[in-house]
Amino acid sequence: MSRAQPRRDAFWIGTAIAILLVALLSSRWLLGDTPGQMHFDARLAPPSLDHWLGTDALGRDLWARTLAGLSLSIGVGSLAALFGTLIALGMAMLAMLGPRWDALVALVIDTLLSVPHLILLLLIAFALGGGTQAVIIAVAVTHWPRLARLLRAELLQLRHAPYIVMSRALGKSRRFVMAYHYLPHALPQCVVGALLLFPHAILHEAALTFLGVGLDPSQPAIGLLLADAMRYLSSGAWWLGVFPGLGLLLVVLSLERLSSHWRHAL
Amino acid sequence: MALDSRTILLGLALSCVTLANAAEPKDQLVMAIGGEPEQGFDPLLGWGQYGNPLFQSTLLARGIDLAPQPQVAIHWSLSDDRLTWTLTLRDDVRFADGTRLTADDVAFTFNAAAKAGGRADLSVLQNAEAVDSQTVTLTLREPRITFIDQLMTLGIVPSAARENGYADDYGRAPLGSGPYQLVEWQEGEQLIVERNPYFYGPTPPFERLVFLFTGEDTTLNALRAGDVDLATLPPALAGEIPSDMQRVVMESVDNRGILFPMQHDEGKTADNGAPIGNDVTADIAIRQAINLALDRDTLVDVALEGYGRPAFGPADGMPWSDPDETLAAPDLEQAIQRLEDAGWQQRDGGLRKKDGQTARFRLTYPAGDTTRQRLAEISAQMVRPLGIEMQPTARHWDEIQRKAIHQDAVVMGFGSHSPQEIYYLFHSAHSGNAFYNSGVYTNPSVDDHLDNAQRAASAEQANRHWRNAQWDGETGYGVRGDATWAWMVNLEHIYAADSCLDLGTLGIAPHGHGWPITANLLDWRWTCN
Repeated sequence: MSRAQPRRDAFWIGTAIAILLVALLSSRWLLGDTPGQMHFDARLAPPSLDHWLGTDALGRDLWARTLAGLSLSIGVGSLAALFGTLIALGMAMLAMLGPRWDALVALVIDTLLSVPHLILLLLIAFALGGGTQAVIIAVAVTHWPRLARLLRAELLQLRHAPYIVMSRALGKSRRFVMAYHYLPHALPQCVVGALLLFPHAILHEAALTFLGVGLDPSQPAIGLLLADAMRYLSSGAWWLGVFPGLGLLLVVLSLERLSSHWRHAL
Repeated sequence: MALDSRTILLGLALSCVTLANAAEPKDQLVMAIGGEPEQGFDPLLGWGQYGNPLFQSTLLARGIDLAPQPQVAIHWSLSDDRLTWTLTLRDDVRFADGTRLTADDVAFTFNAAAKAGGRADLSVLQNAEAVDSQTVTLTLREPRITFIDQLMTLGIVPSAARENGYADDYGRAPLGSGPYQLVEWQEGEQLIVERNPYFYGPTPPFERLVFLFTGEDTTLNALRAGDVDLATLPPALAGEIPSDMQRVVMESVDNRGILFPMQHDEGKTADNGAPIGNDVTADIAIRQAINLALDRDTLVDVALEGYGRPAFGPADGMPWSDPDETLAAPDLEQAIQRLEDAGWQQRDGGLRKKDGQTARFRLTYPAGDTTRQRLAEISAQMVRPLGIEMQPTARHWDEIQRKAIHQDAVVMGFGSHSPQEIYYLFHSAHSGNAFYNSGVYTNPSVDDHLDNAQRAASAEQANRHWRNAQWDGETGYGVRGDATWAWMVNLEHIYAADSCLDLGTLGIAPHGHGWPITANLLDWRWTCN
């Protein structure tokens, strides 16, 4: 086996997972109105050929709703992860401006890390009145500190690297050093960081929605499907919780796998 | 003589059983019936507007047959010109601090409520006056047939002139002469009340009541854990009541429907800044078509799980509602014809358009209310084949008041034992009065009918005018007239109660988020030891 084999495997697995996620993400548009269509003669129907994953209390197809929910989660999760990563990158770059800025950034990071972030998430999402925007902001604002700490440490090491010292000595501006030395060094870490944030963001979006301060209850979000399922578990409608739960697990595990492959690849 | 260990254990077990049997009868009842009042327990600001305000007593009460019964007042009469009420009070009514309730307190309450302008509309009251300590007269500016309802619903507060009297924070520390007094209120969590030792009526059956303010899911979990004795549940969860509890179904006049904004959007706003008007729902063809498209039987079967009946008006079955006020619905063909005639054109099965306006609007419902959510989602699906898109949107009540109430269609609920509510809902004078007439409906003919009803000499005469306001052959607020609402269902209220709790004979509940079940609280009994 050649030394390139693991890399090639990683590439193919990564590609397969990425295709799966893109397919899930686009399913919302392909499904159209189907997730909301009610079939009053098939309420709380167990899985069958007509409804592969069964139906909910209003006779809506759970397969369509799970796909739409995962699509929504991936959409919201990716935006939240993107914004979280941008904040982290911005803060890490800020720390490079000087010791005072560095101390300030470190203080903010430590403060945020000292508060349980589910509580912060709830507070921010509630204060913003719930909804898609609120969830994206809440997840982004609470999930950047770990990545920012990592990036800051990376960049701090770089500060005394010979090529940076030489660049400064040659009279290059701080902006030049930031844009041409620090940023290119931090970007690969950012990509991996964003991928690692992604499953967290999805899980927390689902958690917030489950707790009632997330997405609008009229949308088929995974958190809402799970919250709805809780009500009917005791009457035996197991499919309402199992399939959306498994779907969420599958997406989150796929993302974890993808990010670990990329980390090795990079 | 030595006893063997088995005998000792048996003796211990028996003594435990004996002790348990000899235990005090249940003195605390835990309830989760919802309905936490935002403005506190102040009758002048709307607390107890449907009667039985728990902390306060009323001059009269409604019997199960809805006829007035004596409470604080033992005699009452109305003058021949129908302008002066004279009431004689009991002499043994005391507030929870032991001080006597007198005619001064009653006069103060009515005068202050008239000034406060809360949900109790006393604008017709000219003056309330204490003739002596036990006699009070209430003088009206003009005859008003529904004024007697204020005597049955307005809780009496202590006069501000007395030491422990009414003050601005009264709603958080209410002093009244009702069966219970407030011990602690943790807003958003729970309310604890205890017997008022000076209550003039029969001793309330439970020493302490705890009201938990929980959401639907938390209530269900608390029921399953055995933490509550009585809880209200939405119809969607009626099947989830634990098998060791009893399901209590209470008849009601509580309805749910879609309240339409009636004005065009001309950039106007209400006093609180809430935008007024919606160009789609302001078109009568849209409102009539929606009324024709709704399959109310299916709404009852699916959204209410069968616990209710179809609704075509705000007071179906009441003497002030027209019994002919129904529609042969669903009738999609007629609904489509109505839209086509009005110029709402549809292309390729898409949404209808008229003068560049698309037939799309938000259908707002309060977040956390499963029943209204279901009604919104199902009705949106029923209306979609017409080429009209209603977008179900969840908002919290405060957001509804700030943004949605006059510009979105809203899934609303009302239902009262009094036709007074009809006056509030459809008279132009009450446009934008809190939740009343929030669609800003104005129709001079309807106003005239409503005013004539209020001036009528008898209930029978008044009922004729109330019914004419709904449909007089040419116009009206009802589904055959301006179709100001698309009424959907009348609810049955569902409670899960401990099997040891005997709730006596329940009346017919008005709207009122859980509290109406406490109307006959003094008749409740705990039947187990």
